[in-house]
Amino acid sequence: MRRSGLASFLLWIGLTLLTLLPVWWMLVVSMRPRVKLYSKSVLIDAVYWDNFLAVLNSATFLRYLWNSMLVATSNAALVCALGLLAAFGLSRYRISGGDNVFFWLITNRMAPPAVFLLPLFLLFTKWFVFGDAMLFDTKIGLILLYCVFNLPFAIWLLKGMLDGIPLELDEAARVDGATTAQVLSNVILPLARPGLAVTFILTWIFAWNEYLFAATLTSSANARTVTTALAEYVSVTGTNWGEMAAMAFLTTLPALIVLGFVQKHIVAGLTFGALKG
Amino acid sequence: MATIELDKVDKHYGAYHALRDISFDIADGEFVVLVGPSGCGKSTLLRTLAGLEDITGGTIRLGGQRVDNIAAKDRDVAMVFQNYALYPHMTVRENMAFALKLRGDTLPDRNAKVDKAAEMLRLTPYLDRYPKALSGGQRQRVAMGRAMVRSPKAFFFDEPLSNLDAALRVDMRSEIKALHQRLGATSVYVTHDQIEAMTMADRIVVLRDGKVEQIGAPLELYDRPANIFVAGFIGSPAMNKLSVKIDLKSNAARLADGSSFSLPPGTRARDGQDAIYGIRPDHWILSRGDQGAPATVELIEPTGAEILVAAQLAGQRVLCAFRERHALKAGDTIALAVDPATAHVFDKQTEQRISP
Ligand SMILES: Nc1ncnc2c1ncn2[C@@H]1O[C@H](COP(=O)(O)OP(=O)(O)OP(=O)(O)O)[C@@H](O)[C@H]1O
Ligand SMILES: [Mg+2]
Repeated sequence: MRRSGLASFLLWIGLTLLTLLPVWWMLVVSMRPRVKLYSKSVLIDAVYWDNFLAVLNSATFLRYLWNSMLVATSNAALVCALGLLAAFGLSRYRISGGDNVFFWLITNRMAPPAVFLLPLFLLFTKWFVFGDAMLFDTKIGLILLYCVFNLPFAIWLLKGMLDGIPLELDEAARVDGATTAQVLSNVILPLARPGLAVTFILTWIFAWNEYLFAATLTSSANARTVTTALAEYVSVTGTNWGEMAAMAFLTTLPALIVLGFVQKHIVAGLTFGALKG
Repeated sequence: MATIELDKVDKHYGAYHALRDISFDIADGEFVVLVGPSGCGKSTLLRTLAGLEDITGGTIRLGGQRVDNIAAKDRDVAMVFQNYALYPHMTVRENMAFALKLRGDTLPDRNAKVDKAAEMLRLTPYLDRYPKALSGGQRQRVAMGRAMVRSPKAFFFDEPLSNLDAALRVDMRSEIKALHQRLGATSVYVTHDQIEAMTMADRIVVLRDGKVEQIGAPLELYDRPANIFVAGFIGSPAMNKLSVKIDLKSNAARLADGSSFSLPPGTRARDGQDAIYGIRPDHWILSRGDQGAPATVELIEPTGAEILVAAQLAGQRVLCAFRERHALKAGDTIALAVDPATAHVFDKQTEQRISP
């Protein structure tokens, strides 16, 4: 018991260090002036904030950061709301062909996203055009698009969660005088909270990290997100690796912070079914 | 409080006919128990009363008002579920106040009602706990409290005690009965448990395959079961059912070996009719003389209060319960006699009672 405890402790330490190495490397590079970039040392030899200051003083980057925040958060909120309603329907009502709907939703995730790139580009620039407005290069466009990609996952996860909430609770609430909306808000919603937290975080991170569509379907500071900003740093005249690393670090930070806050819920959400008892 | 009237209630699940032509009335304040074998439709019937299932035919009236087309939330009834269905994210107080909150009672009102019910159910110390920190019996009482605070038109219970251990079940049984006497609420109670049914019910409804087999007061069902099914279902250990032929000349029910028992006076039987002669185990008389049918003792189980004797009688196994401590052992031959007034006779074909 003791020995295996120690062995697994060391194993986890090792795995954690391995995982953190690139993050550490990123931090090291972001703290180096240009001339020292290629030194072999993996330690921070001096505290050097210029890269960070340059990035944080860039109005464009801050704009991109804001776009990312807005897109990721709205997308996650929308996905949670729609996903909960859909999962409630699929879990609680016998919908003819319900299983097929569910399977069809999941198959949407099977093709590589790049397959949809050209059709989406055409839809965004030619089809969803309302007067002068079109979805191309808008935050709304990205939010809706990410919903399409995140909803199947959200519905799948939340349906599993809702299936674990005993039907008797719905029935008890109905006999107690609750309307369907009240059943949803007073019984299902509070009990599905861990699942919603997991859904929120994972879809938020998906939207935050997404690059392919953001790069293709946006063209200006109007809607570009931080991941595209990173790519813009690779230029023909040479890449400023220090600033890029600083930016990458700042891009990772919110995700880490958010994750830290909800870690408890994620663990609860991933061990759902623990409701009974 | 209210009366409940069921008229020709029918329920289909697709092709499956779960409830067939069920009609009976429940008086205001009556405690009615639904019993029957597993899968006979007890829960289904209860759930149609509560509005959790639609019916496919007939009408249900609650307090004179037709409710079968009304949603559960508007019926103003309360239900206690087998696994209690307490809201796990609410404290005991919140669980009990939930229905009151939904219908818009003020906070002081809600608290007063919850406090009163909690006191009645001895739940006051637990009001701020969550259900997961309660014992089975306490959870059961919270479920009762949740139903009580609303003073609904009727209470429905679906095997509320089946998750409790035997001792607690006995306690809760008398507690529910006492509450009913105190509140006088119209109640429908589903159970598997014979004793629960016999001790709690004003009237018992015996169901089989979605049909009502008999309705009556507990002792009425015990003393005069209307058919073979009810005879076998009510009473524990079960009634002995002997295959006999009616011999009207000697006014007797004749067994395969020629021995016979007298028919109860007033039995409507044809000569030579195949019948079932039913005797409760405790109605056998161990005969001293030469009257009575000879039987061979197979097994003896003294329970303390009585001796259970399994015996072979004319090729059929019978169970006898004697209050006297007869010195018997396996292999003994005994003579079994019956007071015909305590016997039940049924037509073998129609399974209906033919003795008075
Ligand atoms: N949703 C449903 N769909 C199809 N058939 C059902 C459904 N619910 C119940 N049944 C069937 O209806 C019959 C009656 O079920 P019900 O639950 O009322 O039985 P019960 O008398 O309460 O049994 P138990 O004592 O085991 O609880 C059963 O044969 C069951 O299979
Ligand atoms: Mg049942």
